[in-house]
Amino acid sequence: MQAHMNEYVVIFYILFWIVRINGCIRRGRQPLLRGRDWFFSVHVPPDFYTGAGRKLLHRYWMRMLIPFAVDIPLAIAIFRSGRLILLNWLIIGLCALIHINHSYNVDLAERQARPFAVPEAEQPVASVALSLTPRRVRDYTNRTVEWVLALSAVLAFAWLVRYYFAAPEHHNLRWVFGVPVLYLYFQLGILWVKRVVVAWRTPVPQQQADEHLEAREETRKLYLLMCDVYRLSAAAGILFWPVQISLTPATFDGVFRIWFAIWVVLSIIATVWVEIRRKQLVKMALRARPVKLPDFLHQSEIARWPVCYQPTAPMLMLKGARGYSLNLANTLTYLGAAYIAGLVALFALLRMGR
Amino acid sequence: MLLTIDTNDPRPIYQQVADGIKELIARGKLAEGASLPPVRQLAADLGVNLNTIATAYRALQEDGLIVVKHGSGSVVAQRTNTERTHDELVRPLRTALTELVLAGLSSSKILNLVVRELNIVGKESK
Repeated sequence: MQAHMNEYVVIFYILFWIVRINGCIRRGRQPLLRGRDWFFSVHVPPDFYTGAGRKLLHRYWMRMLIPFAVDIPLAIAIFRSGRLILLNWLIIGLCALIHINHSYNVDLAERQARPFAVPEAEQPVASVALSLTPRRVRDYTNRTVEWVLALSAVLAFAWLVRYYFAAPEHHNLRWVFGVPVLYLYFQLGILWVKRVVVAWRTPVPQQQADEHLEAREETRKLYLLMCDVYRLSAAAGILFWPVQISLTPATFDGVFRIWFAIWVVLSIIATVWVEIRRKQLVKMALRARPVKLPDFLHQSEIARWPVCYQPTAPMLMLKGARGYSLNLANTLTYLGAAYIAGLVALFALLRMGR
Repeated sequence: MLLTIDTNDPRPIYQQVADGIKELIARGKLAEGASLPPVRQLAADLGVNLNTIATAYRALQEDGLIVVKHGSGSVVAQRTNTERTHDELVRPLRTALTELVLAGLSSSKILNLVVRELNIVGKESK
């Protein structure tokens, strides 16, 4: 069984690499998406790419490779150790690293390009529009999805309770309930991400306010939909677990093979769909011309380090002098910290008595 | 529904927010019982101190235009006959008219302007 599991993990890792190639191409093209008069959302003069811009673009591309520089040595170490199951954790870690690295990379590239920008474009706009439509998690919640998630969890746990009490002396409590509890905790983490996405600020200039709002709102909806897809896949994992542990070794391989195949096919379909949707969103975003908005909070002065403590600033992330700064005085930060602490405690609890 | 904040406007931001919401209520674009965004959302979108928006909401609450329900957000209050005195109501009108006179507008022009603005507000609030 272990040999088969290793095989599946390696296939998954290869698929992860294939998907990343597309992501790399997409991110590589991002600076020039608006044409040669733009470097991301910085309006630059026509000769920018023959001068300083060329170097900045090159540096941006180099920084894009950081996740690969982390991935390759770690993957080699994992393959050499033979503990291929660790590839799963490597993939999870890399997903986070790729997104964080990209955010910082774009921010740094834009800040480096600002001194070369067209001066008029660097003046903040005078009028800012605010949407008075309330944004709460419940406004973006699909009740059917929530019911499916709740019912699948109840069904799976009822099955597991029955399974455990059928022969409690033979089953390890942590082994029976550990995996589904981890899945449930993962779902909770995604709910936190949903809160972050809903809170994602939407400052728009008065000019082209509708285009800016539409682009931001549609992107928000896509991210929230992706969150729900992740939660549903965790629910599928919760549901499959009782099936998995109830199988005999003879039937396990066949069933698991089918399960894995379905998983791969659905992942490919979802990836293709997300890419198509992403392209549509890019088209939408290109209709809204980027502008510099006024900085009422003087963020570059109050957020000088990667973390800051600003109770009166309502944002989770501030755009500080040296890039993004995590505001420690924010409810979302408290919840995130509590989530990580809970995850550590859960792992400790599950490993106890092994 | 959008609220506009202008950095060239001499009024402080909280005042612009409060006035903007007042105008939307007067024009009927924000109906009775309509939910307003939480203070944190507006403050984050605009990128201002939380107290700025909280002050604007407090001013609207004191004017009886919104009801702040702790835990469930703010909603536009039911319109009731105002408790303010005649003098209190006339004062802002007098200030505005003084501004227009000082700006050199003739009485007939001022009257036309007032009628036009009243028509806009009145028509949309119906």
